[in-house]
Amino acid sequence: MLKSTFKLPARVRSSISKAIFHSYATIVTFVTFTISTQPCTADQAGDTFFEQKIRPVLIEHCYRCHSGEAEKLKGNLHLDSKAGWQLGGDSGEPAIVPGNPDESPLLASVQHLDPGLEMPPDAPKLPDNVIADLITWVKMGAPDPRTDVKIDAKRADKSWWSLQPLAKDFHQDSIDGFISERLRQQGLERNPPADPRTLIRRISYDVTGLPPTIDEVNSFVMACETDQRVATENLVDRLLASPRYGERWGRHWLDVIRFGESNGFERNVIVDNLWPFRDYVIQSFNSDKPFNQFIIEHLAGDVIGKDDPTVEIGSAFLVAGPYDDVGNQDAVAQKNIRAATLDDMITATSGAFLGLTINCARCHNHKFDPIPTEDYYRIRSAFEGVRHGLRTIATKSDRQAFEEATKPLAMEKEKLASDREKLEKEIEDRAKVAFEKLTFQRPKIDVHGTSEEFLATRAQHVRFVIHSVTTDATKTRLGDVRSGRLSEFEVWNTDNVNVALANYGSKAEGARSATAADFPDAYGPQLCIDGKQGEQWFIGSPAELTITFPQPELVHRIHFSNSKGRDLDESKVRGATPCEYDILVSLDGQQWTKVASSEGREPWTPAHGIERVRRNVITEEEVRQLKRFDRDISLIRLKIERIPKLQQVWAGNFTQPTEPTNVQLGGDPMKPTDIVVPSSLSVLNQVTPTFQLPVDAPESQRRLELAKWIASDSNPLTARVLANRIWQYHFGNGIVDTPSDFGFLGSQPTHPELLDFLSRKLIGYGWRLKPLHRDILLSQTYLQSSSFRDSAANKDKDSRLLWRFPPKRLSAEELRDTILMVSGKLQLEPAGGPGFRLYRFTQNNVCTYFPLDFHGPETYRRSVYHQNARASVVDILSEFDLPDNAFAAPKRSNTTTPMQALTMLNHSFILDMARALIERCGKELTLDDKITSSYGLVYQRSPTEVELTLARDYIATNGFENYCRVLLNTNELIYID
Amino acid sequence: MRPLDAGLPYLSVEYARRGFLQQMTTGLAGVALARMLSDDKALASATALHYPAKAKQVLQIFCPGAASHVDLWDHKPMLEKFHDTPMPGADSEVTFQGKNGNLMKSPWPFIAAGQSGKMISSMLPNMARHVDDMAFIHSMTSRTNTHGPGCIAMNSCFTREGFPSAGSWVSYALGSMNENLPTYVAIQDVRGEPPNGKANWSNGFLSAKYQAVTMAAQQPLRNLDTPSVISDEKERATRDLLAKLNSQHASLHPGNDELGARMAAYELAAKMQLAAPKVSDLSQEPKHIHDLYCTNDSNNLKASYAKNCLLARRLLEQGVRFVSLYCASRASSVDGLLNWDAHKTLKADYERHCPIFDEPTAALLTDLKQRGLLNDVLVVWCTEFGRMPTHQEGTSGRDHNPDAFTTWMMGAGVKGGVSHGSTDDFGRRSVQDVTTVYDFYATVLKLLGIDHEKLTYYHNGAKRRLTDVHGHAIDRILVS
Repeated sequence: MLKSTFKLPARVRSSISKAIFHSYATIVTFVTFTISTQPCTADQAGDTFFEQKIRPVLIEHCYRCHSGEAEKLKGNLHLDSKAGWQLGGDSGEPAIVPGNPDESPLLASVQHLDPGLEMPPDAPKLPDNVIADLITWVKMGAPDPRTDVKIDAKRADKSWWSLQPLAKDFHQDSIDGFISERLRQQGLERNPPADPRTLIRRISYDVTGLPPTIDEVNSFVMACETDQRVATENLVDRLLASPRYGERWGRHWLDVIRFGESNGFERNVIVDNLWPFRDYVIQSFNSDKPFNQFIIEHLAGDVIGKDDPTVEIGSAFLVAGPYDDVGNQDAVAQKNIRAATLDDMITATSGAFLGLTINCARCHNHKFDPIPTEDYYRIRSAFEGVRHGLRTIATKSDRQAFEEATKPLAMEKEKLASDREKLEKEIEDRAKVAFEKLTFQRPKIDVHGTSEEFLATRAQHVRFVIHSVTTDATKTRLGDVRSGRLSEFEVWNTDNVNVALANYGSKAEGARSATAADFPDAYGPQLCIDGKQGEQWFIGSPAELTITFPQPELVHRIHFSNSKGRDLDESKVRGATPCEYDILVSLDGQQWTKVASSEGREPWTPAHGIERVRRNVITEEEVRQLKRFDRDISLIRLKIERIPKLQQVWAGNFTQPTEPTNVQLGGDPMKPTDIVVPSSLSVLNQVTPTFQLPVDAPESQRRLELAKWIASDSNPLTARVLANRIWQYHFGNGIVDTPSDFGFLGSQPTHPELLDFLSRKLIGYGWRLKPLHRDILLSQTYLQSSSFRDSAANKDKDSRLLWRFPPKRLSAEELRDTILMVSGKLQLEPAGGPGFRLYRFTQNNVCTYFPLDFHGPETYRRSVYHQNARASVVDILSEFDLPDNAFAAPKRSNTTTPMQALTMLNHSFILDMARALIERCGKELTLDDKITSSYGLVYQRSPTEVELTLARDYIATNGFENYCRVLLNTNELIYID
Repeated sequence: MRPLDAGLPYLSVEYARRGFLQQMTTGLAGVALARMLSDDKALASATALHYPAKAKQVLQIFCPGAASHVDLWDHKPMLEKFHDTPMPGADSEVTFQGKNGNLMKSPWPFIAAGQSGKMISSMLPNMARHVDDMAFIHSMTSRTNTHGPGCIAMNSCFTREGFPSAGSWVSYALGSMNENLPTYVAIQDVRGEPPNGKANWSNGFLSAKYQAVTMAAQQPLRNLDTPSVISDEKERATRDLLAKLNSQHASLHPGNDELGARMAAYELAAKMQLAAPKVSDLSQEPKHIHDLYCTNDSNNLKASYAKNCLLARRLLEQGVRFVSLYCASRASSVDGLLNWDAHKTLKADYERHCPIFDEPTAALLTDLKQRGLLNDVLVVWCTEFGRMPTHQEGTSGRDHNPDAFTTWMMGAGVKGGVSHGSTDDFGRRSVQDVTTVYDFYATVLKLLGIDHEKLTYYHNGAKRRLTDVHGHAIDRILVS
């Protein structure tokens, strides 16, 4: 009876996360605050009811898991205080809604209304009268005198700072104003301005990722003597206008959006067609494309930029992450893989643009932020139709031109092919007739072992020439031997010894159709003479196996086999076996004699027999005609190939989803629950105008609407997150130092008002970054020195409040690019195009990436153009924290290890660059001049007298090359003030 | 110059980030100092741990390709009895590669081994000698039926790339016992990388400091050697000059701990250049040891793996914290050729793989034991999932089975001769005491003195753990 009375509406029940009662262990440092618990108004009757009927029940049945005394608190739900149930557990919803038993998850659970949520767990349902008391109590408004308890808040609600609208009125009007105010409050003050040399180095690296030249430094220092302000403005403007800016800041963005050029997972196949997106990012930064536009292009570039490649390419963002393409046949696994693929897009989108960890709401409501699990599936519904893959991206006119150029050729090719087909049919018909008349004296070959005997012949070489293998004629063209395999090939002499054995001293040669770079012996012909079944030679082209004995032998029989036991027909699973062949022998390796063949054997299939007869019935003229056809067709094919292809980009493909998107219980694709429609996220519904589409809305519209909602001026997260990233890359730390997490577990802003000030500015600049860069770069905060002061450090060791400019270590790319540049080897062109590789790529089903021991001149490009495959490790870049980008890396680690030292001292690249550096400074006449020149190139300064002396002494015994190697290893090169 | 002291603050900073030690604010400097001075082999039992540590080091032996539990460790008499009959209630079940045929018994008999009488495949006669020291976990399950994700899950508890491997977590938690060698070494097989390659020993989002260094008998530590054109004397002078320039620079830049850390890193690199070739010089070992491991076996693959086994022992002896030793590699164009993935010809495949694995691995265990290293070293054997009790349709091999597989542990803190959990009559599913990789690593961490729920690292919105949000240590297989 109770059940029917109090059955909750489905929507409400399913929104009660199982997480309320489940245990989660990752609890962290709490921010403590007190839930406001007003002293209870004297409701004597209510309190009495509670004390008599409710408290004993709670103590007996609930406290064991849901109170301060619990050995292990379950689901973060306290039921030993009013504040506890008001706050709720991991689900983020109150456990009890006073006055409303239907909406109270706790009551649904004690009534066993939802499978999996029955409470108390592993115990009989509470007696009906107890449940009735609980219902009565909730109807009474859940009076609860236990109001003196403080609860540690363990999550944010919609009042969380980052979810509020951007502030409008500010009591400071400049970056320096905000920073100075905060410093003053802490009794700190800003450092004096940095000297001009330090400044130009700092700004050059910051804006372009490259050091200035010594000439640039000198002229800047001079200009500063006239007017430092003007000189700095000119410098900043020059650098922001440089194409190097996009290479530096585009690379930052690629970190944020988990850009990588292989698909990861087991196969980890390299992706060769994603570089146009990398170039698009760089160009977008260089042209200062409004970032709100840039965001929309990332999510829906194909929608708004049809036929405009420069826009359409943006949506490659969606498929720039890892995905599993192993081809699983298991239906459940397929669903899980698809869910994981979409999860990558959802995670990337919410982290990069919104600074939200919406992915944490995949299995249950977000445990720390006010993000219901529905929000996760709302984004999913927008991406439901996205598939990884290549897409042609071209302008309309290019498409038309391509069509016009290829169509006549294609038609001509088709005509030739059909004529050829006709001729083939004539020949085959004749062969069929001839085949019908044939009889065979010998049985068909046996894949488990076939012998051919012949007159004893003296030979040192035996050759097995394979014309055809036992492939299925309906699937493969006969005569294509690439599916052929062979386990063993024996040659018996008249003493009855198999002389075709490696341990007899014989050798086997033959092409193979597969290789494994890291396992050179795999699939080779030597496997045919190892005396063992099992491992096979993969027959390549030409399909010939040549066995050479250590000395001439009198041979009379060969035997070949391709399988082991006969329990099952293993021929099916071990590839095809040779079935049409000749056996040739030779004494000298020059003159060959045919001693046996498959002639006279019953063919493997009628098709094989027809193929054999065909070789006899075909006329010479027909052979010539066929050859002519083949030549003409391949000529046309060549012509078609010469027509420049339309650009194929790894930009994904879009199909209209056929099914609605469901919330998945516990993130399990096999447990779909409520349907969600494509719509805005509820987490911001009090701040940002919402949208909602029908459940079957067009796929493109779903992404576009989501994109517009994210990129809206009224979405406070998007602007804040972006402004914070800009700040972070300038100063090393963001105002919020968890740049892709503005939620409860993230950090709080050091300067909240400044963050809003910058966000407003950004929007005011039409979402263009360069003016904001300029504001920051020209602030006194940025231009101050990095000098260390004990007194200040005692208060703020990490200079988060910016009493000094925080020194930085060069990033992996900056380090490598700097070494190339100071050695005079950096090639700035081509700026873009297919990437270079510091690994050797091999594929044998799965892929392996071997780091290169030698970096050739073709790799002397900026590191942003390195084709960064996932789970590949390359020298220098990987060691210095180039992210793998299995996940977004919104903030890089900063590692110092002995392995870095080994690479920087011993890899041939460093030696090559040391040599190149000598070439650059070796032109000077005196040793002192050479040393001075090297200082100018590497550090853009002159050596001190002490440094000169050190250098002279060292070079005298150890040479200039080693000296240059030292310079490239110094801390001064890698740390920037 | 005092590079060791200079490195100290940087290590302390690293320590402060370690969530699991946050409460232990006192004594950290002391621990860091001890570590920096590399003299504290007993660090793992330091007071900062959550439990008394039974083990200080880990040897992980990994047979990639899904080594078949029903053909190696998990004896199933019913499989013999019902050989070549349909599996009850599972007609033409579709798994990873497609349909399944009838039940298929193991091609080799199982025999009782040791005092415990543990039934083990006759293909592993040498491993059979160790069963009384081993704790089998027969009820393992995996969340995936795909090799790559399976392998990284067996290493990181996540099927997706980007999470730190157990070796990285342990390095992060416990640090080095010998700064002259890497803390975490992955020894890959001569046949190549395991499925999903380097992601198996990735540091994920932990600092690059915690990633495995790869080395093997066939593959020296990368960039270890000073270029041959530079003499020892010149190299010394080079280091001197570098140290001088760097300390001069550091004196002008007070307040930047990283400068000292990088100088210390160069010092350590120099020590590593001395220590690493020594540890990988197998010629130091006497003939009877080489014979024990079979490093000169006529089967090149066996000899090569044997050398890696010997290298593993030498690394552990020198205080490497976590060693991952791989026996076999990735998928190739032929299933089961390069690893244990016997889809089609199980008998032929395992007659290749078992002899490579059996004798050298058994020798390694014998050697660890006779040297007393098992007092400190926890040995764990892993594979990514199991195989079907049925044969794959049209073949004599087995398809993937994520619902049941076997792993085992032995050594420091582990009970010998016990078996935990079990599968159903045929080995199709784990049914009793079903165990996950989370439980597996909760157990490993517990043996190392770490509460798996307290070893955490903040990343992109979550306090991450090795064991995600799951796992219970399997206390039953631990020495109390």
